Amino acid sequence: MNQMTDLSTSDTSPMLRVTDLAHRVSLETDTLTILQGVSLEINRGESVAIVGRSGSGKTTLLGLLAGLDTPTEGTVALDGAEISSLSEDERAKLRASRVGFVFQSFQLLPALSALENVMLPLELAGIDAPEVRAKELLVRVGLGERLNHTPRQLSGGEQQRVAIARAFASDPVVLFADEPTGNLDNRTGQDVSDLLMALNREQGTTLVMVTHDEQLAARCGRQLHIEAGILTEPESARERAH
Amino acid sequence: MAAKQKLMSVRRDWRERDVRVVLVALVIAVATVATIGLFASQLQRTLVSSASSFLAADRQLESENGRPVPPGWLEEARDRGLETGQMIEFSTMVFGETGFQLVSVKAVSDEYPLRGEIEIQPGADESRSIVDAGPGRGEIWINPRLLRLLELEVGDSLEVGNLELTITNLLIREPDGGFRLSSLAPRVMIHVDDVVGTGVIQEGSRVEYIYLFAGTENLLDDYYQWLQPQLEPSHEWEGVRDGETFSRSLERAERFLLLGGSLAVLLAAVAVAVASRQYALSQRDTVALLKTLGLPSKGIGRLYLRRLALWGLVGVLGGLLVALPLFWVLVRLLSDVLEQPVDFYLDPSALVPALLTALVSLFAFAYPPIRRLRHVAAMRVLRSQPGETGREAIPDMVIAIVAVFGLVWMYAGEISLVISLLGGLALLLVALALLGGLMVAALRQVRGGGNAWRLALVGLYRHRRASMAQMAVFAMTLMLAATLILVRTSLLDDWQAQLPDNAPNHFLINIAPDAVDDVEAFWADRDAPLDTVYPMVRGRLTELNDQPVKEAVSKDERVGALNRELNLTWMAALPEDNEIVAGSWFTPGETEGVSVEAELAEQLGLVLGDRLTFTIGSETVTEAITSIRTVQWDSMRPNFYMAFPPGGGLTDMPGTWITSFHLDQSNKVALNEFSRRFPTVSVLEIDHIIERIQQIVRQVTQAIEAILALILAAALVVMAAVVSATLRDRQREGALLRTLGGQQSLLARSTMLEFALLGFFAGVLGVLAAEAAVYALQVRMFEGGFSWHWQVMLPIPVISAVLLALFGRWQLRPVLSVSPMLLLRRLE
Repeated sequence: MNQMTDLSTSDTSPMLRVTDLAHRVSLETDTLTILQGVSLEINRGESVAIVGRSGSGKTTLLGLLAGLDTPTEGTVALDGAEISSLSEDERAKLRASRVGFVFQSFQLLPALSALENVMLPLELAGIDAPEVRAKELLVRVGLGERLNHTPRQLSGGEQQRVAIARAFASDPVVLFADEPTGNLDNRTGQDVSDLLMALNREQGTTLVMVTHDEQLAARCGRQLHIEAGILTEPESARERAH
Repeated sequence: MAAKQKLMSVRRDWRERDVRVVLVALVIAVATVATIGLFASQLQRTLVSSASSFLAADRQLESENGRPVPPGWLEEARDRGLETGQMIEFSTMVFGETGFQLVSVKAVSDEYPLRGEIEIQPGADESRSIVDAGPGRGEIWINPRLLRLLELEVGDSLEVGNLELTITNLLIREPDGGFRLSSLAPRVMIHVDDVVGTGVIQEGSRVEYIYLFAGTENLLDDYYQWLQPQLEPSHEWEGVRDGETFSRSLERAERFLLLGGSLAVLLAAVAVAVASRQYALSQRDTVALLKTLGLPSKGIGRLYLRRLALWGLVGVLGGLLVALPLFWVLVRLLSDVLEQPVDFYLDPSALVPALLTALVSLFAFAYPPIRRLRHVAAMRVLRSQPGETGREAIPDMVIAIVAVFGLVWMYAGEISLVISLLGGLALLLVALALLGGLMVAALRQVRGGGNAWRLALVGLYRHRRASMAQMAVFAMTLMLAATLILVRTSLLDDWQAQLPDNAPNHFLINIAPDAVDDVEAFWADRDAPLDTVYPMVRGRLTELNDQPVKEAVSKDERVGALNRELNLTWMAALPEDNEIVAGSWFTPGETEGVSVEAELAEQLGLVLGDRLTFTIGSETVTEAITSIRTVQWDSMRPNFYMAFPPGGGLTDMPGTWITSFHLDQSNKVALNEFSRRFPTVSVLEIDHIIERIQQIVRQVTQAIEAILALILAAALVVMAAVVSATLRDRQREGALLRTLGGQQSLLARSTMLEFALLGFFAGVLGVLAAEAAVYALQVRMFEGGFSWHWQVMLPIPVISAVLLALFGRWQLRPVLSVSPMLLLRRLE
């Protein structure tokens, strides 16, 4: 963990650098442009919200930034690694060691307990004593009493807490969140976003969040707007960023 | 437990419906194939040893040239761990106080019988008993008929050649005596060491030396390998398998069991394929998440491969856990039926097909869709991705079909079986495509509405792709099950016809021509009418087309029929169970020609028109072959190689008459009176043999029923797998329909109707395909004729419709029993 922190403080290159990104999908008759001309830099430790309406391309952008998919054109560099030139397995390896995720629909494995869900990325990354670390995190997110409950036995808010614990488990340098409060009521959403922000600060993680919740977006250091596949950044925010 | 390990734990898997189906299908397949393998192996062993008593050993070596075999042959057998025994058979005169009589002597060594037992009676009015050794030196056991012929008592002495022997028992039944009609003289049994003392056997005497061998099949085979090069044409090595009576029934039973096993393999393969595809679909989200969390595709592949291996292990262990007790029960039944303890014979090699079945089912059927999980896009965690088009699965299907038919072929060893089943399936698919096209066109006309029928038809149309796929699997399953039911039915009918309850169980031999009418009247009075009474003349085939037969027939041909006297007869009508295969039967009034048994004709290379010369006593008769006919040797009726027309060449030859008839156990006392009135007629009691065969047939029938039950269970699992495959969609749809105001009863009725329609059409298609497959199977594998089986077939579509309707209703019960609100949330 310390090593990671050292790395992020000593390195001044951006965590994410996106150049001339475009993404198109071929349909039966024509081609649909989902993203075009996206260029962007996100620095280490920054928290960035990508805001836009449904269908604006924000989820696609998140997937490309996280290396879940590869763009039609342009490049994405994550922590210095050129994602589009990596094979799928190399990208998986990169994700295992440096990237955390929080999803709108939680994406917990229903057959595993809360503890096991959090242990899973630790095991995949080959980290020692995964159980100790996973317990620590679950205690941190307030679920120390519910380690052995399966997702079905947990409420939506609790499930998202487990997901947050899982996202931070392998000490990621960057965390991607896709509408993390989208499936939760206001009050619970508020609690969950508090937790997410707090952990993010504590761990010094770079946060990239997709949301259409303006309030949540406002809690991020920087906001980007996306509409019809084109990314824009309000002047004030850009100044703050640089 | 580590989370990653837990992801692969079978206990966790068991909670998933699709995995349960895969595991249950595997367990059933392994259990069926293993049970069949073990039982077929045990059955063969038991039947062989049970039938071995007909030889008094596992194998006999007969020397028909009047000389004993080299002593080294027996020493070698003993050195190899085989049990051996010896018999000498010859005919001679015996002399009592009041007269003399030609008898057939069987001299036996101490070891006789190696298999089976002897039934004796210490006096005419004493009770019978079973012993496992023959007479000692100085003793003679005699047929009760001789007692009357020579007016003897047990305890009297009897001269055989130079030796005086004491009658100590009456010989009622010898294990290896039943089927030889050649010796018409009454039987006596003495000890082999007394033979020399009688001085009866001289150089050139007609005597048969018979050697008995018993041991494991392997030892016997090895020994025969060693012995075979040294055998001369006059030596005959006989095993039960060569005998006529059992082999045909046994072979057909084995084939049936193999067919059952093959169908189990096919059904299991279908179930495994359907369920694992479903499983693979349900795993896509998990795979996408694991990839997102950083598991490379190689790791995914390993994860699922290890899981498959675990399933395989569970399937095999579970299958064996089912198979072994089942096998135990079947063997217990076997020993009950045979009224003798049966040693368990766990043949490890019988388990190989079971293991292969598990392996092939998993790797040819379950693995391909699961392997493709590696290609699931990680992006799926964020947004659902386009699903499979089905085109990717085509190479898998080819691999799967080749693999499973290879398995069936290896397993049943019959290319005709593979072709029959493949042909049936191909036909099924063509019919399905036609019916499907018609149905879709017809269903398109139906508009939705509040009526259950319409809703059901619209449902079928809306899910037409899934419906067609389901129908294909149902029809295939039903075809396989129906095939088995049909083959079973015809097999059992056939056996029943072969040995009906009133099958002849006694032979009367040696009836003097002028006594025939009296004998017939005697039994007619006692409600035991005789079958046809045939004249029987003993003669030797000596010339073929005016050439000595031994020269005319190539030396390699060791035809037993040439070495001994044949039973010749004349008859007007062709016996019911004989069939002319060449030429034509005698027309009334025809007096020339001879009809020859087909196998012998083939062995000797005889064709219509060949002239056969027979030597009968000092006379010769020459006739041309006018017909060739097949004979049912196991019919328990007199059968003849050569038949002449009445008034033909045989008519004036000296002969006696022979017949068989059925005598109830309760009527057996009449035999005593019969023997008193007709002392010269030999009665051959084969009721105990018939009973034993019937017992064995019953036992095999039970085994077949048990196997059938297993297969039908496999069929149900397949159906469950298929219905479950669309369960979630159906539940969601049902929940929506209810939310939108559909009534429970309407939903229930339309679902049941939809499934009933599916079941009915699948049933019709399956039955038609089964008829086609059975036609091919029966003609090629079971050598039976073909007929339609409406009585078996008609209920199948109806039963399948009802079963599926109930099953569909049952599967839908969560939708019908809880509030739509709860349901929608649960299905989210």
